[in-house]
Amino acid sequence: MDATDKGEIHIAGVNKVFGQGASAFHALTGIDLTIATGEFFTLLGPSGCGKTTLLRVIAGFEQPTSGSLRINGAEMAGLGPNRRPVNTVFQSYALFPHMTVAQNIGFGLKMLGKSRSEIEATTSDMLRLVRMEALAERRPSEISGGQQQRVALARALAPRPRVLLLDEPLSALDLKLRKEMQSELKRLQTETGITFVFVTHDQEEALTMSDRIAVMSAGRILQLGAPTDIYNAPVNRFVADFIGETNFLVLPVAQTGGAVARLTLPGGNCAEARLPEGMTPVTGTTVTAVIRPEQAAIVAPETGDLTARVESAVFFGTDTHLHLTLADGQPFVLRRQNRPDQQPPEPGAMLGLSLASGALRVLED
Amino acid sequence: MAEKSYSVRRIPGFGAVAVFTFAMLYLPIVILVLFSFNAGPSQSVWEGFSLHWYEAAFQNRQVRDVSIRSLWLAATAASIATVLATLAALGTTRGGRFPGQTIIYALINQPLMVPEIVTGIALLIFVAAIKVQTGYTGMGYLVMAHTAFCIPFAYLPIRARLETLDAALESAAADLYASPVQAFVHITLPLLVPGIVAGFMLGFVISLDTVVITEFVKSAGQDTLPTYMLGQLRRTVTPEMNAIATLFLALSLLIVTAFFLVTRTRGR
Repeated sequence: MDATDKGEIHIAGVNKVFGQGASAFHALTGIDLTIATGEFFTLLGPSGCGKTTLLRVIAGFEQPTSGSLRINGAEMAGLGPNRRPVNTVFQSYALFPHMTVAQNIGFGLKMLGKSRSEIEATTSDMLRLVRMEALAERRPSEISGGQQQRVALARALAPRPRVLLLDEPLSALDLKLRKEMQSELKRLQTETGITFVFVTHDQEEALTMSDRIAVMSAGRILQLGAPTDIYNAPVNRFVADFIGETNFLVLPVAQTGGAVARLTLPGGNCAEARLPEGMTPVTGTTVTAVIRPEQAAIVAPETGDLTARVESAVFFGTDTHLHLTLADGQPFVLRRQNRPDQQPPEPGAMLGLSLASGALRVLED
Repeated sequence: MAEKSYSVRRIPGFGAVAVFTFAMLYLPIVILVLFSFNAGPSQSVWEGFSLHWYEAAFQNRQVRDVSIRSLWLAATAASIATVLATLAALGTTRGGRFPGQTIIYALINQPLMVPEIVTGIALLIFVAAIKVQTGYTGMGYLVMAHTAFCIPFAYLPIRARLETLDAALESAAADLYASPVQAFVHITLPLLVPGIVAGFMLGFVISLDTVVITEFVKSAGQDTLPTYMLGQLRRTVTPEMNAIATLFLALSLLIVTAFFLVTRTRGR
């Protein structure tokens, strides 16, 4: 076993092309990925980025055009979905409408040829795990969407797969239920120790639940890392824009040295910005720098790094978004935690902004 | 209310047209049923209630023979047609797209478009040629002709049912370790039953009803109920025909009701 054999899922050089010739569509391009045992791994991206195709390749519903996929060390090429140690929670749940909740949950074990007593024992375990004991004899059409979601989960977990694949399983639920299911999923994953591969377009869901995230766009993985890495150190404009909210500032380079550059801010002050690896911009050229809206603080005018004029204030409950204009006309959004003793500044007011140290980052364009 | 002003019911004469249409559709049938209970031999003068003509129909050996032949033929043809239509529906909805798919659709449904008389004459010539070559004159020709005619009627409800089935259900079965055969037996087939039953019943009724094709294809002594009745009507019309037609009607109603109940309870 070489080092790459460690980990539950090992994907190397996977490409997937639909169609041929001029109309060919490259759904996946050069995917290399190792997912560790017991990891909560998320594929995140906008619709059409290839995340669901990658999930279907892992599940066996699609065969990759080239590349290799190993699960627990075994090559999966040519194996159908019924011969892989993975189970899927489908976006539409795909519960069998002519079977009861209990029959749905027991279906995988029945197909595996398990004994009746084992099926019954596991089914009742699973019903307890997802707290659905009382509804075991109902049909899927007789239970709510949230309950269907739990049944779909229980059905996929019942055969005790090595890997559970989840295709946007929460997208059909309302906000409150979604939050509830998020912690439920996290609890199930911790309790069962099964590797979860989770597909979503919801960046908040990805940030709160995942051990690691792969951000995808146009069939490629743009960035792979822990939620804090992805949020704090986006590798390019797409990731910075897709994850959370970001201010993009075009700024001239005053000085470079090592991993940082000094940039001239609107108004004349300078600030240090971290550079991406291997990038050394020429002094005098402009670069794009990013800073998150919560990483700047309001100070007295003329005392901070920046001076800004207030255009509007939008109340969000926990915080207020201030839409500002900097000295050179560039827009800047600032997020401030609400406190009962604070009034939002009036439009037209001038503020000083102090940037948190290390908050400013230069992007590769 | 605003929506009421667009209601078709407010168009002048709506009620009269509706009553006239229903009368045209059902009055002749009501009269037919009524006179099947007439004590006398007339179709227009009521002479009192009697089950005499039903008795006559049941005692008529020929009527019994042709009825049994009709039912047997309809059951056989509809069964074969349903199996073939199910396979065709699976092939056209689950086999992925293939070249010529639209043409295949058209070809399966073609018997619905071609005038029956054309099919009848074509079959007559075709069957005659085979008869000469092989000397076989059994029921096989009628079974074949009726099966071919029933396929599109059986195909349509089965395909409609398949198209409303979420393909993710079959994916889910495969994901839960079902082989393609197991997925079909445990998931697709049970969910397809309402469509299959509907297809069979439609085929059965259509076969029972067909006159033109049977007339052209049958050999001597292969009269079905409709062709027998047509033959009888050329002579004298007695209420015995009314009685037979009424029984026929009752059978159709029974099938339609069963069809409605099956699709309603299993369709959920």
